[in-house]
Amino acid sequence: MVLVESYRRAFSEALLDVGSRNRDLVVLDADTARSTGTLAFAKKYPERFINIGISEQDLVDTAAGLAIAGKTPVAAAFSMFMLRAFEQIRNTVARDSLNVKLVGTHSGLSAVIDGASHQSLEDLAVYRAIPNMTVVSPADAIATRILVSRAIEEHRGPLYMRLGRDNAFRVYDDSEDFRIGGFRVIRDGSDVMILGIGPMVWVSLQASEMLKAKGIDAGVVDVYTIKPLDRRGIVKVASRAGLVVTVEEHNIIGGLGSAIAEVLAEEKPSKMLRIGVNDSFGSSARSYDELLEFFGLTPKAVAKRILEVV
Amino acid sequence: MEKAKQIMARLAEKGISWHMASSKSALNIIAAVYGLWIPIGTGKGIERLAILSKGHASLALYTWLAVMGILGEEELESFSRVGSRLQAHPVAEAVPGVIASTGSLGQGLSIANGLALAGRIDGVAREVVVIMGDGELDEGQVWEAASTASSNKLDNVIVVIDRNGLQHTGPTETIKRKEPLAERWKAFGWHVVEVDNDAVKIAETLERLSQVKGKPKAVIVRKGANTS
Repeated sequence: MVLVESYRRAFSEALLDVGSRNRDLVVLDADTARSTGTLAFAKKYPERFINIGISEQDLVDTAAGLAIAGKTPVAAAFSMFMLRAFEQIRNTVARDSLNVKLVGTHSGLSAVIDGASHQSLEDLAVYRAIPNMTVVSPADAIATRILVSRAIEEHRGPLYMRLGRDNAFRVYDDSEDFRIGGFRVIRDGSDVMILGIGPMVWVSLQASEMLKAKGIDAGVVDVYTIKPLDRRGIVKVASRAGLVVTVEEHNIIGGLGSAIAEVLAEEKPSKMLRIGVNDSFGSSARSYDELLEFFGLTPKAVAKRILEVV
Repeated sequence: MEKAKQIMARLAEKGISWHMASSKSALNIIAAVYGLWIPIGTGKGIERLAILSKGHASLALYTWLAVMGILGEEELESFSRVGSRLQAHPVAEAVPGVIASTGSLGQGLSIANGLALAGRIDGVAREVVVIMGDGELDEGQVWEAASTASSNKLDNVIVVIDRNGLQHTGPTETIKRKEPLAERWKAFGWHVVEVDNDAVKIAETLERLSQVKGKPKAVIVRKGANTS
């Protein structure tokens, strides 16, 4: 039975939780509070919520000013439209290493009906290339709740969190723990190691089950911190199997596959298969599953690709 | 002021004259803000902060800080050298009084709004001046931020516009019109005054504006303007 939860609801709950004990938390949104999940915080703490209007560049630099003044701002927007403020993020937030948490929702293909204009498939590549930036992408709702609170309460400096919409397949039990900068080996494997990110962690787990039925031992790793990447840890994990596979709901260029390939090419050249959206834009669809089908990101499609090269 | 002009002339003789037109026209504003308005605020128990949104006028800022004895005159010659704290565009905390790195135009007002909003949340008496060029007003983000300031009634935010009529490649009105400039800011819900490009007059105007409540304020600095 597949349990699908909501990234934005998890984000919303985490903000309320942290907001109750952290008076420095200020939440900003670009008139999408109902969609991103910041609305509950806005209602409970109106004095610490700013609806900046539909203006993402202003959103990011206003957050920068709040951070300079010592607050801990969380700026939320659709992942795609946060990219509109790339230069503000690069030149002010990152260059001055400000304690601003940027949360991009509706990432990957999760803005299902909206389609290509709203589906961010390039954000990991963009944020990864910015100095001082930490980039996190939780796999499920539980990981989201924990990582949102750690990002606000324990991490200092610029951070981008990539969240989907309501496409958080349940991966973890309530007891799991996560730290900014870490990754998690969910299942060990001797033939293949599948490294997934975001909702593709669940897809990787399902693919691993299918491969098991074919006699292939496939491990699964959740690379929830794509920057800074734990290079030594990744090399160690990749050494366990003959094939390293990356699965991401992102353009094949610049995301998880690129990040892992960069490390392995230098430290331990390995046979690799990168699975993602193959340098194209998204599309409108009636359901998320249809999109995964279309882009070859279902467990079945992933298992099939792996079988072709293993 | 004479000393500042001498320093800038000496720097120019040594070939350090980067964006000098911008610096020359901003010198009085910088002197008024950093030399008078901020220290007067300290005396009154008000935290006054400034952002040089037109980072291209850095030579005027560094020169004025040298006049105030905050930077050494010899150090000015390290301007734009690799590793120097006097980067061509000012870097936050590298130089006293610089709280946000600038250089990319149009971002200062949003940052100032954030500082003002934080002051409101924390109950801190804070006023923020943003020094902008008139060419810089082409950036759309300026107008996003102008709306944010008036929507939130940020009466502790003051924009000072260096209305020298010039931008990078020519006269502002031949490239992208700025006029009617005062009316534009008024339409965005701002209190607007015009003042001559004179340090004392600018400082007096800023001081007077502290009394205006309920709206953000724009000061248009134009050579020969009668204070309105």
